[in-house]
Amino acid sequence: MSATTAHLDSLRSAAAALGGRVGLSRNTDAERLDKARAVMLGELDGSHAAYLETCLHCGMCAEACHFYLGTNEAKYTPIWKVEPLKKVYQRELGPMRWLRRMLTRDITLAELEAWQPLVYDSCTECGRCDLMCPMGIQISPMIGIMRRALAAADLLPAELAGAVDEQKQQGSVLGAGRDQLLALARDSAAAGVPVPLDLPAADVVLLTSALDVKAFPDSLRATARILNKLKLHWTLLSHSIDLLGSGESLRELHVRRIVEEIVRRGAKTLLLPECGHAYPALRFDSAHMIGEPLPFVVYSIAEFVGQEIQDGRLKVNREPGGGSVTYHDPCKIGRHGGVFEEPRAAIRALGLELKEMESHGRTNYCCGGGGGQFLIARAAQLRQRAFEIKMREVDDTGAAKVLTACNSCRFNYQAGAAEANWHKPIESLVEHVAANLAD
Amino acid sequence: MSILEFARGPAFQVALVVFAFGVCWRLAGIFLMYRRFDRSQPRQHALIAGGVRAIVMRSLPPHELEKKIVFQHVSGYAWHLAYFASLLFFAPHIPFFKQFLGFGWPTLSNTVALLSGAVALAILLALLWRRASHAVLRQISTLDDYLSIVLSILPLLTGFMTYARILPLGLRYENMLGLHLLSICALLVWFPFGKLMHLFLAFPARFQAGVLLKRKGVEA
Repeated sequence: MSATTAHLDSLRSAAAALGGRVGLSRNTDAERLDKARAVMLGELDGSHAAYLETCLHCGMCAEACHFYLGTNEAKYTPIWKVEPLKKVYQRELGPMRWLRRMLTRDITLAELEAWQPLVYDSCTECGRCDLMCPMGIQISPMIGIMRRALAAADLLPAELAGAVDEQKQQGSVLGAGRDQLLALARDSAAAGVPVPLDLPAADVVLLTSALDVKAFPDSLRATARILNKLKLHWTLLSHSIDLLGSGESLRELHVRRIVEEIVRRGAKTLLLPECGHAYPALRFDSAHMIGEPLPFVVYSIAEFVGQEIQDGRLKVNREPGGGSVTYHDPCKIGRHGGVFEEPRAAIRALGLELKEMESHGRTNYCCGGGGGQFLIARAAQLRQRAFEIKMREVDDTGAAKVLTACNSCRFNYQAGAAEANWHKPIESLVEHVAANLAD
Repeated sequence: MSILEFARGPAFQVALVVFAFGVCWRLAGIFLMYRRFDRSQPRQHALIAGGVRAIVMRSLPPHELEKKIVFQHVSGYAWHLAYFASLLFFAPHIPFFKQFLGFGWPTLSNTVALLSGAVALAILLALLWRRASHAVLRQISTLDDYLSIVLSILPLLTGFMTYARILPLGLRYENMLGLHLLSICALLVWFPFGKLMHLFLAFPARFQAGVLLKRKGVEA
């Protein structure tokens, strides 16, 4: 983890030198504004229209947001974070646009600059506000549009811009590279856990992430151990590590590449590692990106392992010593993916006492650093305020440790815990399963 | 032409045309807009049922998340119910509806209907005060929010004044009644332009959210 932390620190230092924003845009202000507007207009459709037209400005969404609850600052109200998008919709697309153009001013670049901290620093796209709205308004997908629009206007926070540049130039992020993954696979094989790399044909394809390689290699080894135990014909795509850590502008390109690689191998199942943001991207969004249903099934590894246990194909022993745990539902796997029961089935099979947090399952609080927020140095204090809510809920359970199925969440937990001098272990669910496989 | 004749005649006709055309225009503009087709494999099926369930569940307080929103939920439902009770079941209103629609219906006692109107008025005033004083609401509020509340209050206020024959500035009863009708005309004219349209949009928005979340296997 220290290498990853050092890499993050270097990204943050570079960002600090730029004053927290990208200042080297080659485009004029008018061009940047036009690009942002074009992204918004290109992505808005009838579903967003129904949401934006229905908002009552009741403010209830604020009560769902960990950044508002952690600070009590009104500017963190979720629906306020998409205000420029709403303006563009109302002036350019809405049925009353003829009136809005007469009565309202267009968005400005200064306005988008002012919104940069609201959509990057104080939103992790966790989607909790989407559950609170009495009108059903799905705010988090519209935050995603805001982010892509700001990125088009060269308003990515410098750390994220640095990560995207690294992605483009090195093919990966966080300093992770293919060579490191190959070394990891060799070490794993030497330890008796073979990792079949880049087989030309396989039934099951596994992806990994830069964070796995750099900070949590045990999670990858544990996954390999389980897949070997199940005697699956599987392979790990060694050049896939860059595909999960992409900047948003590269997302579609990378998703297409992943799909092609899997189809070429004839695989019917894609397994995603303990990585949050890959899940909704590949499970739900990718079909839209490629324009047709996926010819394979996508599982999060926690979901897959839980199902295998539930169906009796994977046997586990009760964990020696047992003990109590609480489970942190990663937002992207849970609230954005519907994976709630399978990880809990695995925990029960391990004989662990599950003590749920007050907010768990669909209402679980984000770890505070999702959506790339954990990269942003200036957001550290804000991140910690959000994390304090999480700490309180974990402490209230009385559980001895936290299990989760997302290494980004683990990373944020560990960073937040270190900052708060909080000594609560946060561990990988898949590692626990792999450590207790029955013969 | 007296105020009452103007209100009953051209003003009301114009208001109705603006209301009907405006509502249709706005609904068509929203629902005829291009929509992306979701090609992902749903995690759960029965998507329509998911949408219908969202309509019902989002009408109820979201217990798991409810901490500080009890007032908003309760007051929201209370004023809507009280408002429509006084509008639809106050005896003096029925002849108007009968003239317009050709049929009438049973009414509440005047006391109950007036009490309903008073409850609606009190809550609307409280909501107006809250919107102006609560940090979050002040941040996100627009002219639409304030105008919609004020235009909802005016028919109640003028209605009470008409019924109780509170006639300021030496107004005659007929003129006060005319002002009451004009306040309704103003509400009808504003309706398609602002947030009052949620009367028609709330269920479709909830439905599509329910379908989306059902695809993902998440309870809406």
